[in-house]
Amino acid sequence: MQNRFPAIIGVGRTKFGEHYEREHENLVEEAWLKASDAAGIERKDLDAGYFSDYFLQITNKVGIEEGFLSELSELHIPMEKMRSFSSALLNACHAIQSGKYRMVLVGGVEKMTDRWDKIRDDLMLLEDPWSYYAGCTPEANHELMLREYVKKYKISGGTLEKFNTALAQISVKNHQHAMKNEYAQFQREVSVDVILKERSEAHKPLGLYDFAPISDGASALILARPETAKERTDKPIYVVGSSSATDYITFPSREERTGFVASTMAMKNALKGARIRIEDIQIAELYDQSTLLEMVSLEDLGFSKRGGAWLDVYNSCKDYHGFYQINGRKLFVNTNGGLKADGNPLGATGGAQVFEIVKQLKGEAGDRQVKPDEDLQFGCVLEFEGFGTKAYVHILGKGLA
Amino acid sequence: MSSEPIERRVSYIGDRLRGSRCGICGKEYFRTKDYCGVCGRRSFGKMKDVDLFYEKGTLEVCTLVKEPTNKFTKLGPYVYGIVSFHNGKVRVPGRLTDCILREEELDLSSFEDRGVVPRFRRRYAVEQSDIIPTISLAFTFTDEYYPHQKYEVIKPKKEYETPGIIGYGVYVPKFRIKEGPMERSVPFVDEDSITAAVEAGKMALIHSGADPSMVGKVYVGSESNPYAVKPIASKVAQVLKLGEEERMDGVQGVDAIDTEFACKAATSMFKDAAALVYYPGARTPCAMVIGTDNSQAAPREELGGELDFFVGYGGSAFIFGMYDVIAELEGWYSCTSDTPDFWRRDLEPYPRHGGRFTGEPAYFKHIVKAARSLMEKLKLQLSDIHYFVSHQPNVSFPIKVAKALGFKEEQYMPGLQVAKFGNTYSGSSPIGLAAVLDKAKPEERIVIVGYGSGAGSDAYSLVTTSQITEKRRRQKFTVQHQAENSHIEYVDYDTYKRFKLGL
Repeated sequence: MQNRFPAIIGVGRTKFGEHYEREHENLVEEAWLKASDAAGIERKDLDAGYFSDYFLQITNKVGIEEGFLSELSELHIPMEKMRSFSSALLNACHAIQSGKYRMVLVGGVEKMTDRWDKIRDDLMLLEDPWSYYAGCTPEANHELMLREYVKKYKISGGTLEKFNTALAQISVKNHQHAMKNEYAQFQREVSVDVILKERSEAHKPLGLYDFAPISDGASALILARPETAKERTDKPIYVVGSSSATDYITFPSREERTGFVASTMAMKNALKGARIRIEDIQIAELYDQSTLLEMVSLEDLGFSKRGGAWLDVYNSCKDYHGFYQINGRKLFVNTNGGLKADGNPLGATGGAQVFEIVKQLKGEAGDRQVKPDEDLQFGCVLEFEGFGTKAYVHILGKGLA
Repeated sequence: MSSEPIERRVSYIGDRLRGSRCGICGKEYFRTKDYCGVCGRRSFGKMKDVDLFYEKGTLEVCTLVKEPTNKFTKLGPYVYGIVSFHNGKVRVPGRLTDCILREEELDLSSFEDRGVVPRFRRRYAVEQSDIIPTISLAFTFTDEYYPHQKYEVIKPKKEYETPGIIGYGVYVPKFRIKEGPMERSVPFVDEDSITAAVEAGKMALIHSGADPSMVGKVYVGSESNPYAVKPIASKVAQVLKLGEEERMDGVQGVDAIDTEFACKAATSMFKDAAALVYYPGARTPCAMVIGTDNSQAAPREELGGELDFFVGYGGSAFIFGMYDVIAELEGWYSCTSDTPDFWRRDLEPYPRHGGRFTGEPAYFKHIVKAARSLMEKLKLQLSDIHYFVSHQPNVSFPIKVAKALGFKEEQYMPGLQVAKFGNTYSGSSPIGLAAVLDKAKPEERIVIVGYGSGAGSDAYSLVTTSQITEKRRRQKFTVQHQAENSHIEYVDYDTYKRFKLGL
């Protein structure tokens, strides 16, 4: 039955962080070579390339990324460029499923630190020009969503303190995970106390340690038809569900402001395509641009009940054992450290998320390897473009023996 | 770098907060739409304009922005949030303006669920040579200095034989600097002479109840237009929708012009506005005259720096017409001489005083001449005049000139506003006139004499009508409201300099 699903036969990535000495195409090259090496393929095996960068055109004045890659690889195959890794993967899956290509490269890159002084203006303008005009920042919408959430669920007093602690615990947890990730931007721990103190000194509902950093980095994978995959590897990881959904560009104009409608819709359709239930998903890479987004995504995707995710986090983190305990089930979330600690080079981020799930499903995650009660079968990846303006969900699964 | 087309489109929507309402299902949108997202094609042609510019909103949620994006850094820390209108039918992003945040006592939840009103402001900082971006996604609380006032268009009732003022408005911000006996109004950092002109015009429309499409001409007098070339009046005409709106062509059917003659740039146009609405067949039922200035002064240690003790900021607007007149313009007299007492050369940032001509023979000679000639022309005795208002560069000059003309305290004191707002240049004597109109009874005579350096004076005689008391209840934002308000915020000299310099 799984024969119809495209298969990932190799993944690769660079360390995330600051790479000021390297050009964007060299970062892609590193991730690409690692993925090709893992898949045991040659350049000539590739039928096409699907790439992503969110705003390399703005940050690095790079017009046609495909040209750089063609020159570097001496390849003249079709190449297309999307904004996010998940978008590139989604389109690559469509091409494989349609029968057009047998094997394609999916790669993503971003060089944000090259434009460190103007990056927040770029991010905000691309997120929503009207919010930018009104004075919004890349962080402000997260904080408004927090206020909406707190008011909607009437969280106050001691409960609010717990809620704020839960959000800090998400950051603490992700930093802990990143300690075991050689590619992570921040391999250091933070404490709840430091996070709360920083917030209170800044008079802000979310502080420095609640937000993902800006990063440089690249990621890549090789996607193949299932029959081609089987010739190359014993352990193909199938993309069993993939879907995306869209929402208004202007966050304040949306009806739902305590989560992202697009996440819910993408997850619903991805599960439908995979013919599995939410309960079948044991590990998830969520798009924690802020600690708040990891929390609300637990609700948007259907893991936690509405208004209850923060309590699931709080109860799980009081005595943390590497997973969230939700409805009596274990859910491993952002085992690579998430965007917060692994890093967030926009166009490459999704690739690092997929990288993590693939490694975990294959049992190759080393120190980070999760140990669920049952055999690890399914994991999912949630990625956004903008502030929930686009949501992509990919469900990855192991081949049944 | 800025793009003229993008600037044009963003400010067209953003300055007035233009939106749409579906004529079928009632769904509302910020930004104009040709059809409703719910009703689809059948709503084509059934979308109604909804402008949020005069509406009261609610700040639903907010947060503190301490590290803004690059163009907003000069604002200092500010509050950003979501503002809803029409009971949540439409929501927009917005920032609070006119707000100096004291972080140690900051409780963000105390800002939420409060009424706010859109304010027309500079959007953010740009290069000195760029187009100035503006927007009304800036808000202030309705329960503070600047109240929300409904704008109701009222059908004209009575036609008068003599043209006159049918409505007026004054705008000064809530910030003041107090040095010695004088208080002076200080713009917030996102304000300039353009924003004050729009605010004053808005107040005048609210007070008059006039349909903005009836305004056939707008004059904006200023000596601190941030542009050397580009009118303030075009911005006022578009934001306030003056004249017939020609939607298809994207123009307003109005003549808009900026005037300049130091501090009399606005008062000089009173007679032109009155004459225009009186002209048979001209089809200009109303004309608006605005005086606006972010009064300029050199730094104190430099030549001309003595002005820095006197300058204020604000605007005034007067609408002239033949219907529902509150003060008839019964006559005027103007005089001019080429007297260089105060000037600013092109590309110079600040005006300069020679010193030799200041006072005598500039200010006193022209005001006395204009006032006496007007009284002779209209055969007026001092006792026929209830109020006397003159240009107010400082406290002593207007008192001295009033006394020299023989006026008593009760005649000149009500219009003497300079000690509360400073010298607002083009808005100076008009604010004095507005203060008098705020208090005057029907059938009272007001003589106002403007003065502009360079030099010249215009003297006018106005006689109030019974409508003055009727229209008064439409305006809460009076001169007294702005002069004596518990929400006035005093700033120190450094803040004053920073605000005055602007974005």
